[in-house]
Amino acid sequence: MRHGLTISLGLAWRSLILVRRMPSVFLPSLIMPLFILIATAGAFRGISQLPQFEGASYLRFTIPLATVMGAGFAGINAGMTMARDIEGGFVDRLVASPAPRITLIVGPLIAAGLRSLFTTTVVLLAGLIGGIAPPGVSGTAVVYLLAIGFSCATACWAMGVALRARTIQAAPLMQVVVFLSVFTSVAYAPREVLTGWLRDVSDLNPVTYIMEASRAAELGTLGWSELWPGLVAVAGLIALLGTWALTGLASLGRR
Amino acid sequence: MSPAVVQTAALGRRAVVGTLRTPQALVPSLFFPLVLMAIFTGSFGGAPGTIPGFPPVRGFLDFALAGAILQGILIGGTSAGSAFALDIEGGFFDRLVASPVSRTAILTGRILGGVTLAMAQTLLFLAIGVAFGARVEGGVRGVLILLVLAALLAVAVSGLGVILALRTGSAEAVQGTFPLFFALMFFSSAFFPRETMTGWFKVLADLNPISYLVEAMRDQIIETEATSATLIGLGVAVALAALALWAANSAFHRRLEGDR
Repeated sequence: MRHGLTISLGLAWRSLILVRRMPSVFLPSLIMPLFILIATAGAFRGISQLPQFEGASYLRFTIPLATVMGAGFAGINAGMTMARDIEGGFVDRLVASPAPRITLIVGPLIAAGLRSLFTTTVVLLAGLIGGIAPPGVSGTAVVYLLAIGFSCATACWAMGVALRARTIQAAPLMQVVVFLSVFTSVAYAPREVLTGWLRDVSDLNPVTYIMEASRAAELGTLGWSELWPGLVAVAGLIALLGTWALTGLASLGRR
Repeated sequence: MSPAVVQTAALGRRAVVGTLRTPQALVPSLFFPLVLMAIFTGSFGGAPGTIPGFPPVRGFLDFALAGAILQGILIGGTSAGSAFALDIEGGFFDRLVASPVSRTAILTGRILGGVTLAMAQTLLFLAIGVAFGARVEGGVRGVLILLVLAALLAVAVSGLGVILALRTGSAEAVQGTFPLFFALMFFSSAFFPRETMTGWFKVLADLNPISYLVEAMRDQIIETEATSATLIGLGVAVALAALALWAANSAFHRRLEGDR
């Protein structure tokens, strides 16, 4: 157990220092959430004049979209790194070593969680520069917690894809699914404002509940009734996508 | 018919067929704009008629359709530039230059291909929009003006792609302009009206030529009579197309001189 944890931490550290060695891999995951924050808050600010927004600042309303998106990118990075490691033979060498296989999943998961801490901090700081103070200690903690949870879920998804496709060419699949899951939730407006097919899809989309909990924390309206669906959605996604990653891991070496 | 015209048509046809045969080049220019249009229509359906400054439209889909068309042309233009860069990387460009093919046709053929695809894509997007309930208030006149705007914009974007391809000779470098176009679209009135923006963001949208292009396109969809937005958009489109053609021609001759 301790041996496995040490190796997992080592793999997480290796994944994190890749940020310095290959900034081109990490930079988009930092720039995109900031771009989404600025572009969305600027372009769609007018929608916040609808009564359903109850006078909330649209920049504050958009911060959870950017933190969740940043966490999604942190997770996608884990899958892309794994795909490169598979192509480069690093994963084969690790599988042939006495290291427990599970560390191949746990290490990048830890790295994804830590990266999401960084992207969330950057987004909150950008919000602060834009005049939006962080939402108190407990609210900020919830924003971070949900971002970490979502990064782990997306990391499991992306690693599951990488373990099956075994090529970096699968990166668009990792990205498109995460993008669609975020943008078909309550990314731009609360559920009461959504219309047509998006209203139905957002009701079924677990990211809606993560975003709503994070948004309630950001807007200072968080209660248990907003928090628990978000926590259940994160836990459910991690359980489901963790199984997806683990079954992918089990298939390693079979082909 | 002059040989240059025949060669332009042949190279244009090759560009269109090449794009149709590589779905990975075609899918982004169809998939992303349509998905974003669907998501924005679902997200902002409550805006028309409620938010001060929002133009009078039947529904948000009518408003969003022009943005989707323009986005598709921008992505398609990037693909045209990448395809030209691949011709350079693969040596086809050098073989063309060494052959008796008109130098002008090498350039205009690629741009003609981009224009043809942009016009076909515009009609496709209009058909999809209408199928989902949008209406082109400008009627046949509106559709014709939309096609002219699409063609001019395609000349400008394909021309820019060709310039980058000639300068860098790298398809990756041309594809790298995609995020720039994506960002330019957000900092314009492509997805939401300028009248609802404020502060520095509105200043950027006012300075962004994409705002005027998309507003001219939108004018054909939401207005029964063309307004000043159409004239301004046509002016911007003509200026951008002329500038791109001139710069592409310069880049082309510089490359040929560099090869000597």
